This record gives sequence, C-alpha cells and structure tokens, in this order.
Amino acid sequence: MLKLFIADLKLVFRNRQYAFWAVMFPLLFTFMFGFFFGDKSTSGGNLILINNSDSQVATTLVKAIEDSKQFNINRDITDPEKAKEQVEKNKAAASLVIPKDFGAMLPNAPREIEVIYDPGNSTVNAILFGFLDQFINQATFQAAGVKEPLYSIKEVKTNPNELNYFDFILAGILGLALMNSNIISIAVGMSKYREDKILKRITTTPMKTWWFIVGEIASRLVMNFIQVSMILVIGKYLFHAHIYGNIFVVYLLALLGAVLFQLLGFVIASFVKTTDAAQGAATAITIPMMFLGGVFFPIDTLPKWLFSIVQYLPIAPLLRIIRAAVLEGESPLANPTNLIIVFVWIFATLIIASWKFRLTED
Amino acid sequence: MPQVIKVDSLVKKYGNFTAVNGISFEVNKGEIFGLLGENGAGKTTTLEMIEGLRKLTSGKITVLGEDISGGCKDSIKEKIGVQLQSSAYYAFLNLYEILDLFGSFYTTRLQPDELLKMVDLDSKRKSLVNNLSGGQKQRFSIVASLVNNPEIVFLDEPTTGLDPLARRNLWDLITKIKKQGKTIILTTHYMEEAEILCDRIAIMDKGKILKMGQTHRLIEGTKNPYKISFVAPNLEQKTYGQLAEIGIIENLAGKSDHFEMHIKTQKNLNKAVDIIQKLDPESLTVGRASLEDLFIELTGHNIGE
Repeated sequence: MLKLFIADLKLVFRNRQYAFWAVMFPLLFTFMFGFFFGDKSTSGGNLILINNSDSQVATTLVKAIEDSKQFNINRDITDPEKAKEQVEKNKAAASLVIPKDFGAMLPNAPREIEVIYDPGNSTVNAILFGFLDQFINQATFQAAGVKEPLYSIKEVKTNPNELNYFDFILAGILGLALMNSNIISIAVGMSKYREDKILKRITTTPMKTWWFIVGEIASRLVMNFIQVSMILVIGKYLFHAHIYGNIFVVYLLALLGAVLFQLLGFVIASFVKTTDAAQGAATAITIPMMFLGGVFFPIDTLPKWLFSIVQYLPIAPLLRIIRAAVLEGESPLANPTNLIIVFVWIFATLIIASWKFRLTED
Repeated sequence: MPQVIKVDSLVKKYGNFTAVNGISFEVNKGEIFGLLGENGAGKTTTLEMIEGLRKLTSGKITVLGEDISGGCKDSIKEKIGVQLQSSAYYAFLNLYEILDLFGSFYTTRLQPDELLKMVDLDSKRKSLVNNLSGGQKQRFSIVASLVNNPEIVFLDEPTTGLDPLARRNLWDLITKIKKQGKTIILTTHYMEEAEILCDRIAIMDKGKILKMGQTHRLIEGTKNPYKISFVAPNLEQKTYGQLAEIGIIENLAGKSDHFEMHIKTQKNLNKAVDIIQKLDPESLTVGRASLEDLFIELTGHNIGE
C-alpha cells in the first residue's frame, strides 16, 4: 500500500499538466487579484497631481490624498494640457489640478479644483470623487465655522474585522483551486487510465480496488495541502490578506471540499468513455461553478431565480463555510445548513461513484 | 500432462450479439496454447473471461483446479500473469518503478532488475515507457506480466504492429518463458506466429472454435497437405489441364507465370512434380501445407479478407 501511495505521489507531482491546474492556475489568480485588490494595491490607479497653491487647504488636501494610499501619485507633470493628454492615452487614471491661490483667504481666490477623468473608468471615478466630496464638504464646514456637522453616519458592521475584496476573493480562490484540480485530474486521470487499460491491468492483480482508489485520493490530498498552504501563505504574507479563523478548521474544510470534488471527478469518469470527453465534461461543470458558485462575486447579487438554483451548486455552500471560517472565524457548525448541503453532495456523489465507477467494462 | 485451464461451454453475449458461442477447450501445463482468428472472432473476450476481466453469460471456467466462473479469486490472481492487448503503463513512472509497483501487489515477486535484464532493458531502467520503441514496449509489457513469477501467462496479440525482426525477438522471449516451465495462452492473428510458437491451437471464427489440436497434426490433417509452387512461362493449356486433374492449381494473383498447387496424396505429388519438371520451370518449391492453408480451408477466406 505504501508503495502504491508513493507511486501515486510521483505520478501527481511529475504530471506537469496537473501541477499547473493544481498550483499555477490558483496562484496566478492569487497574484492577479492580490495586485489589484490586496493590501498593497492602489485601487485608484495613477493620479497626476498638479498643485499650484500653497494655501493650508491645498496642502492638507494633497497630504490627505497621499495618506489615503489609494493612488499612485505622479507630481512630475505640471502642465494641465499634458496631464489631460496622459489621461486620454490611459497612462493615468485621472488628473487633479489645484489652481493658484485655491483655499487662500483672498477675495478673488478660485473655489474650484479641476479633475480630468475618463468617464468610462467608473471604479477610479467613484473612489476619487467620493474622496474629494468628503474633503471639500469638511473644508466648507470649517470655512463656514461649523465645528460639527448637523447630520452624520453611524457605522454598524456585521463583521467587526477589517476586510477587503481581496479577502473575499482569497477564500474563493481556495475553493476554485480545490475544484479545478480535483475534478479535472480525477475525471481525466481515470479516463486516461481506462483508455490505456491500466485500470484493467490492475484488476488482474490481487490488489483491492478500494486500495487503488484510496491511493489516488490520498496522493491528491497531499497536493491539495500544498496548494492550500501556498495560496494562504502568499495571500497573507505578500498581499496582507486577513485570516481571522482557526487555520486548522480552514484545512479541515479544504479537505472536505477536496473529497467532494474528487468524488465528482469519479462520477464524471464513470459516465464518459474517452479522455477527451472527460476533459470536456469536467470543463463544462467547473466553468459555470467558477462564475456562478461565488468564487469572484457574492452570489446574492444574482437575480433571485438564479440565486435559488446556484446556491446549491457544490462549491457555493463550501465557499460560504470557508469564508465564514476564514473571514469571521465562525465555526462551520454555527450555520449547519451549508455543511448539510456539502455532506448531501458528498453522500450523493459517493453513491453514484460506487454504483457506476468500474475499473473494467463488465 | 495435467490441465491448468478447462473451459466448458463458454458463452458471452452482449445484448443480441454473441461474442463467444459455447466453446470448450483445455490448456495443459507447460504448453503454449494459441487462440487463432481474425479480429472479432472472440479470442480476446475468451481470454479476458479466463483472466476474470469479463463476466460469463454461461459456461464454466476452471483455472488451476479452481472454478472461477463467478469471478477470479485472489489466490488465482497470484498465480497468473496478464499482458493486455495494446495496453499502456503509467506515463510518469520509469520501467523500474512500474515493475516495482506491480510486484508490490503480489505476495511472490521477482526483482525488477532481474526482469529487465531478461528482456535486455536493464539499461533503460530509468526510462519512461513512452520513450521506448514499439518492440521494447512489447517486451516490457510481457515482462511486466511476469512480476509475480506466474504459473500461467496470458498474452493477448503480443506481436501486433511490430516489424518482422522485433516479432522474431518476441518469439524468442516467449520460447524462453515457456522453457521456465510456465504455461502460456496467447491470441494471435498471425499464422506464422501460431505455427512456430504454439504446441496446440484453437482456430476461432465468429465466436466458435472451428478446429483444435496440435498444430502440426492440424496442418497434416488438411484436405491437401502437400503444396507445390512453381514459375513456368511456357505452361500450355493441355499441361494445365493434366495438373488440374491431379490437384488444385491456381495462378498466383498478378503474376501470369506463377502457380501454386495443393495436392492430397504423396502419389499425386510425385506425378505433379514429374509433369512440372518436364516444363523446365524457372523455379520449383515442394513443401507441406501451412496453417494459413488450413485457415482458408476452414473459413473460406484468409485473415483480413
């Protein structure tokens, strides 16, 4: 049995295609989203800042923009026309021009700052204008002698932890990695073994089918452990993702997901005849789950009728539990419905795989 | 010689199609037994039922004294070695690792290096199967069926797709395995292979055994056991008629002066040789009928026609 497990490990680690799907593919997503939305990212993009005023208001505004760390600030360009040209060429997200004497206590001092922006760049515009609105309002109140605004907002968070979009995505990438690597590798791997008659050859030996399957599953779980560890380490230490839950629980949930997706892979391998068909079927199952299962976006923003269906896809409840555990440190038992759905899937796929998956034709 | 395999009234049906239709045969210890026939004759299905890979529709199979009709028991699997038709092995394990892995499935196992040496692949122990030539792959495939030092070896079309030299190398290997005292049951559609290797054969066609017995006896038992081949550009119609009275004469396809005769008795053979010699033939070969002649006699066509 040990020899079988070691041989399976060699097969898993020497198979470059599998290694890509298991490690490179999710890491690619981790890096991509990390650079966009991680803690070090500047979600507002490049901002050309031209400050022609030396008033206290202008200086405070510039400092506030710098401190927000939302933008990469470019102060090399001083000509507004040139700044506009840069925005038009998409070399800068926007340009902010503070005119001479803006904020100064002079009778004819200008009261407007100029923002050159691309209307199509809605994310940057929302961040920039939101920021400027808030600053201008405060400056106006101060100029009018209002110490405290009459109305304000009281923030009540459902989750006291500090979170960002990358934290949401990271848990999604964990689920995506487990889903892609396990469904594809089992479905395609078993079909290839069947095509090459390796499954048949094994049946002629006294080796129990059970041991063979355990070896296949166990070797992939080792890969899953490495996969999950790499995503978490890179997410946390390179992009400063927030992980509030017990790491042991996160690994346990990843293991649960890995088993579920491997069983799904066996179900596919039970029904398809060729390796190409397995590849097609696995892709047809993983792609919709990738986009509709809540990997990249919260699925409750979907139309109600669609949400009522996709919330039961295998990856959806799994991601809900993983996110609750990672982002809120919530026990999977706190909301058992999701855990029950995952176990129903495991149970259903186990029954179908045991019934249909055969090493030989007869 | 004691029997190691006994097949009795074996039937395999797929829906309305009968792949194997009530065949019976025995295989004796230490012999090479061949199932000869075209693709689709039922050879592989028969072999796979004996190996425990396919369920029987009806009939009985006994291997090494044990009834395996309901499935091959582990105790029997320990004693048989199987080489499947055009099978591949793990793509990312080297030859040594594959033999070591498969050996670990059995209680009795031979050393991978010893096995690789047997088929002159010891220098390739770290190679992947995909990097081997066709002949090397087949040699490896056969030696992989010997990892458990089996009593019975099943070889399914072991030389299909190989060039003549590689085929002859495999024949030497199969003979070597036989000399170790193992029983070999093989399928083939190569007449020459069956004739050279097999002690006994069963000729199969459309799921049935048409003829079975010792290879040389079967050939001797053909209706026309003697054969003359000759080249005579000046063969006249009258002489052709004389020869046609003695045996079956036919013009070889595409060559108007090449002829072949099939003759029933020694007396007629002598007569025919006398007549042909008077023609001063460019070439004259006298021999016995081959397995191919027997196959054509039984089925009415050659393999592949």
